[in-house]
Amino acid sequence: MPDSNIPQKDVSMTDFEDAIASNTNSITQSLSQMNIDGPNELEPQTLTKHKSTLIFDDDDEIPPYSNHEEHANDLVSDSGDENDSTSHLQNGSHQNSTIVSQPQQQQQQQQNHQPAQQQPAGQPSSQPQQRNTVMVPVDITWQQGGEKVYVTGSFTGWRKMIGLVPVPGQPGVLHVKLQLPPGTHKFRFIVDNELRFSDFLPTATDQMGNFVNYLEAVAPPQTWTDEQQQQEQPQDLQTQQLLNQQQVQHAQQPQVQQPQVKESQVANDNQQDITRPESTTNKKSKKMPTSARSRIAFEIEQEPDDMGDGFTRFREEKPLKPQLEYTQDIPAVFTDPTVMEQYYLTLDQQQNNHQNLSWLTPPQLPPHLENVILNSYSSNSPETGQNNSGSLPIPNHVVLNHLATSSIKHNTLCVASIVRYKRKYVTQILYAPLQ
Amino acid sequence: MNNSQDSIEALDMEQKLSLTAIRQFLKSKTSYDVLPVSFRLIVLDTSLLVKKALNVLLQNNIVSAPLWDAKTSRFAGLLTSDDFINVIQYYFSNPDKFDLVDKLQLGGLRDIERAIGAVPLDTESIHPSRPLYEACVMMLNSRSRRIPLIDQDEETSREIVVSVLTQYRILKFIALNCRETHFLKKPISELNIIAKGNLRSCQMSTPVIDVIQLLSQGNVSSIPIVDDDGRLINVYEAVDVLGLIKGGIYNDLSLSVGEALMRRSDDFEGVYTCTEHDKLSTLLDTTRKSSVHRFFVVDQSGKLEGVLSLGDILRYILLGEN
Repeated sequence: MPDSNIPQKDVSMTDFEDAIASNTNSITQSLSQMNIDGPNELEPQTLTKHKSTLIFDDDDEIPPYSNHEEHANDLVSDSGDENDSTSHLQNGSHQNSTIVSQPQQQQQQQQNHQPAQQQPAGQPSSQPQQRNTVMVPVDITWQQGGEKVYVTGSFTGWRKMIGLVPVPGQPGVLHVKLQLPPGTHKFRFIVDNELRFSDFLPTATDQMGNFVNYLEAVAPPQTWTDEQQQQEQPQDLQTQQLLNQQQVQHAQQPQVQQPQVKESQVANDNQQDITRPESTTNKKSKKMPTSARSRIAFEIEQEPDDMGDGFTRFREEKPLKPQLEYTQDIPAVFTDPTVMEQYYLTLDQQQNNHQNLSWLTPPQLPPHLENVILNSYSSNSPETGQNNSGSLPIPNHVVLNHLATSSIKHNTLCVASIVRYKRKYVTQILYAPLQ
Repeated sequence: MNNSQDSIEALDMEQKLSLTAIRQFLKSKTSYDVLPVSFRLIVLDTSLLVKKALNVLLQNNIVSAPLWDAKTSRFAGLLTSDDFINVIQYYFSNPDKFDLVDKLQLGGLRDIERAIGAVPLDTESIHPSRPLYEACVMMLNSRSRRIPLIDQDEETSREIVVSVLTQYRILKFIALNCRETHFLKKPISELNIIAKGNLRSCQMSTPVIDVIQLLSQGNVSSIPIVDDDGRLINVYEAVDVLGLIKGGIYNDLSLSVGEALMRRSDDFEGVYTCTEHDKLSTLLDTTRKSSVHRFFVVDQSGKLEGVLSLGDILRYILLGEN
């Protein structure tokens, strides 16, 4: 398909201009950014030193923070994407071509240089429509030589070609920065009029069987706040603040911050750092980021009940729990359908006066699970001949690791589940008989 | 004279260089690399009845599926058309055992294999991160013409069936993505890859059960159907037996192969032929465009001369000209 759609060289230049025209915002923006943060980007060696903390350019600014190392490890193991991009960074130092998706860093730089662009300062959160259109900055690099290199892909409908610019000081290396919507994008390179793919980027075959490169643009979590506010703060506090944000952001939970809360929160965090007894607390607060207030409450909970001078903490009397009995036998209500039915009938009589047999109808499916990619796949489609690899659309991540079933026909149960396999998705469909 | 010899040598050189480049490409990529970003895989539980499994295959428009043993939580081999051929042969020689055949589970297929003395299918598999070249070579040596990709779950250390690669899929992949295939310009007659002697064929009036026997005896995926003059008119494929016993009904075994072909679905791709003078580049181009599973080599008058299977082509690409 791309073979036929890709225009020949003569039109490529105009196409490039078309691309600019249609994506004026994104491309001009990325071009302007390139000059500013270009040098920083192109020296991945400096970044490899501290994997997780791209924000910290300077080691000296980091206060002695016992948690730091651990935090870095945690980040690497927790989120596969981060891990991958960092390993790419390391590859980068060996003259490989890389895609570095650096939402965090980029986002901040955007804040610095174009405060009015995406998230106007002062109203960091609660703008869902803006959040939907957020573009992820992506750097596409080609390192296998060539004079004129273009990239074309699903993000341009495989029609337009976007030119790559040489990286100064690195012969044979070209790159371009694009703003892409979150999701999976497939692309190939046109190198001196020849359709090619990079050997250093993830590859896959598309529905037609063409070998393509692909990348997953991951939307950054919305955690950035008033920049100026931060700059007014003393240096160490600011760093502390950044650390906090790093933590919170790492856990991928948007944090709503209001300026007046912030000062106290920072102070509280400082104190927390000092008073934190051991690393278990650290871990806890890292795993479940909490708002400032609940964190204070949490801290109080941690303090000993005996407060000295005869004061002890007031605790509500806990109601006496009934003695529970544990057994290894599965109660009949779960194994015998007639008992189960009787149980629910009784429940129904007690609670609803037999009005509605609500227990008979299963709860409604959450709307995001309605869109099952298996349903959109038709084995009778005319493309079946082409689609011999069973290629499916990219699943939305919310449907991953769910179990889907079809209705039982002819005593055969069919279940399916979509799981990640490395950086791809396998939809496994299992047919099994009912015993 | 000298000139033509030069050009033949150039052709030879070009062919060799292209093959080297294609092999290099297959060695540089892993099986994982060529998987789509998102794909489906149909797996059958070994306790499923054979006739139900047949329905599942037909419904999903596939001809093979990996099996899963839920008791041991392990991959249990591939279900292919060969298994159905075995069942047909077993039932044909033991017509009194219909009950057994009707209630046969996929796990019992190995017993059928043993009962009729068929060579058991290899259950070889390969890890998805091994080079594609390695997977291709393993596939060549397997009777099922496919290779399952099996990984191990890191946490539970149980097997994960990731996907199954077939010869057609690999050849199509090569044809689509290796520009070097355009330079395979030597006529196929010079490559010594066409199977000619002792070619098994049948006629329209041949009973289908005899054709099925030919399929299993020769371990081939198809039997060409020729007329009285030896001209190719159709083909009976191993996958056609799936339609023959659709719904677990074995009444049609007495049909002639011509009648049996009436059951074939309308979207049958057709029979692909070529001549000895065709080039591999042309054949690969055809493979790219349509789902070919073998080429029959015919002469000017359409008389069947030989057959060129996908396995033969793949073997040549992987190992030929050395």
